[in-house]
Amino acid sequence: MSLAVLTDVVKRYNDKLTVDHVNVTIQAGEIFGLLGPNGAGKSTTISMICGLLKIDGGDIRIDGLSVSANPLEVKKRIGLVPQELALYDMLTAEENATFFGRLYGLRGKLLKERVAEALAFTGLSDRAKEKPSTFSGGMKRRLNIACAIMHRPKLIIMDEPTVGIDPQSRNHILDSVKALNKLGSTIIYTSHYMEEVAAICDRVAIMDKGHIIACGTEKELRERVAQEEKIVIKAGQITPELIHELKLHPRISRVDVKDGLIELYLPSSQGELQDILFIFAKHEGIIGSLHIEEPDLETLFLSLTGRTLRD
Amino acid sequence: MNTWTIMSYELRRLLRSRSMLLNMFLLPLVLIFLLGSSLSGVMGNGKDSTIEPVNVGIISQSGEGLASSAMVASFLKTPEISKIIVPLEVESRKTVESGLRSGKYGYAVVIPANFDSEVQSGGAAKLEYILGKDRTDNMVVGTVFDNFLSSINAKQAVALTLGPEALTAEATTSGDHALVTLGKLSEGGMTYTASQFYAVSMMLMFLLYSGLTVTTSLFNEKENHTLFRINSMPVTGSQLFIGKMLGVGIVSIFQCIAILLLSHWFFGVDWGNRPGLLLLFCLLMIIASMTLSIIISLFSKNLAGARSLITVITVIMTFISGGMAPLPESWVNSVGVYTLNHWAMQAILRMMLHSGLSQILPNLAVLSLICLVLFSAAVISYRRVGYHE
Repeated sequence: MSLAVLTDVVKRYNDKLTVDHVNVTIQAGEIFGLLGPNGAGKSTTISMICGLLKIDGGDIRIDGLSVSANPLEVKKRIGLVPQELALYDMLTAEENATFFGRLYGLRGKLLKERVAEALAFTGLSDRAKEKPSTFSGGMKRRLNIACAIMHRPKLIIMDEPTVGIDPQSRNHILDSVKALNKLGSTIIYTSHYMEEVAAICDRVAIMDKGHIIACGTEKELRERVAQEEKIVIKAGQITPELIHELKLHPRISRVDVKDGLIELYLPSSQGELQDILFIFAKHEGIIGSLHIEEPDLETLFLSLTGRTLRD
Repeated sequence: MNTWTIMSYELRRLLRSRSMLLNMFLLPLVLIFLLGSSLSGVMGNGKDSTIEPVNVGIISQSGEGLASSAMVASFLKTPEISKIIVPLEVESRKTVESGLRSGKYGYAVVIPANFDSEVQSGGAAKLEYILGKDRTDNMVVGTVFDNFLSSINAKQAVALTLGPEALTAEATTSGDHALVTLGKLSEGGMTYTASQFYAVSMMLMFLLYSGLTVTTSLFNEKENHTLFRINSMPVTGSQLFIGKMLGVGIVSIFQCIAILLLSHWFFGVDWGNRPGLLLLFCLLMIIASMTLSIIISLFSKNLAGARSLITVITVIMTFISGGMAPLPESWVNSVGVYTLNHWAMQAILRMMLHSGLSQILPNLAVLSLICLVLFSAAVISYRRVGYHE
């Protein structure tokens, strides 16, 4: 069953298209990763899903409800963990959670139970009476999550929740995401850390310059990259003639030279290695090392855009 | 319900800020005390001044003392003058100057030789004054003797131009009835003290500053990114805005009541006889200052810019409305009528003087109108600009 459906979604700032006809369907119960470099349009897309930004074109439906037509009903079904810490320093952790819980409509005994549950879930029960200003970066991030999950939303949106924290807190957060998903929430997880997305997401959409450039399971995306292998050669002497001849090879689609390394992209290395070694021998190129890289999401992004995720 | 939640947590956050509490509650009281006590000499103390008798050294250049001038002697013996001036005959100028320095005499008058005969022969009446150390004594005695000389010179002029009969006729027309009736500034016949004046002025200035609390709160919500989170929740913009305004408004009402009560208990400030109307004026000032700040905040890019603008506006309005010190009649005073403070301040001062409603209600109408205009402008600005991160 589809929980979130984005149809031809468009967002413009002045005349620039920030989100360009995005079409995505997110199934109930999945962890959906939104991967892309800074400025790709991830946060804008999320802001539109949450009703924070007006949609300039297309439609977003959450749990069957249009965000534009029923913003308040949609917001009840969503828990947003913002990229920036969104907490009150003058209130304790418990008061922060209680305040946001009340705004989600929780009251009385249920509110108390849910606040305690959310703080326990994020491992902050013993610090409930303390103010966030006394917390470490990781603890603040966890409180940031606690404040978004008390109403047990159908859809939890986490916008780069692990930015700037230590590995221990990062692992805690990733475990929390999986646990929340097991408890029944659908999760949209945005990041520009490829490893995180690969580790926890069922499906991934890769965004760049406002477009969804690839979408599928990690396996599907790897297979897509697998159609083009990357051979990395450390060469002792790189001459223009050598590079020119490699580029002329009919099976090699691209040749990059970086820091004494030659990167060759080709559909398959099988059967072509001999040709490559011959070209090197012809130009008296000394090979220090040679390896064929396993395709990953980073490779996919690179092959699709010519840039790395962290560019 | 969301409005209530936002309001109650806004209150909780504000009341936990020590610096804000000090600025809102302690600072106005300290200023009222300092300005009220240090400037009481300039402003008066709310009561009519009583003139104490002044020792006046009288020197006759002829060396005969008061006996040298029957005119001066008879003038000083009149009951009205003897209440003000205590004439003390002094032998020499040196003695009287020494007495003036030591404070034995408050003033000295030198009677020229042949004063009476000079006057009677048609010459101008002239005396020499030697001023003492007290400004008020100098003014009082100087005025008394100036009047004496003016009166003689006027009579002389009448006699010279109209003849001695005219003097007789003038004497018969003047009676015992008072020629001057003293008017009063207020219907209640009271004047206000420096403490009262600065209590009103400072309270209004600090109520205007309550707009600054609104601005800080609105920008903090943006800078802490909590506005972003709240906007993603099932909360309408109006619930958020009204909740925040109510929170700040309630703190400002607490502040106002604290200033009213504490200044009354500690410094004896009499706030007049219309507490309900007084609170209404304060409420209107709070609304006006908050709505003005909202408009500024919505169009400002950052907190620093908004704060500076509100501070400048507040100080200028307080000054040109005469809140720092009563201003003399000038263009500044005329511009003062365009300030919020002017209408509230004049009305509250009139309440302190127990003036009638007819003197207060026009100010209430103008202030209400200003609030209505500012409120409408704030609503329009909010709809156009919105409140988001």
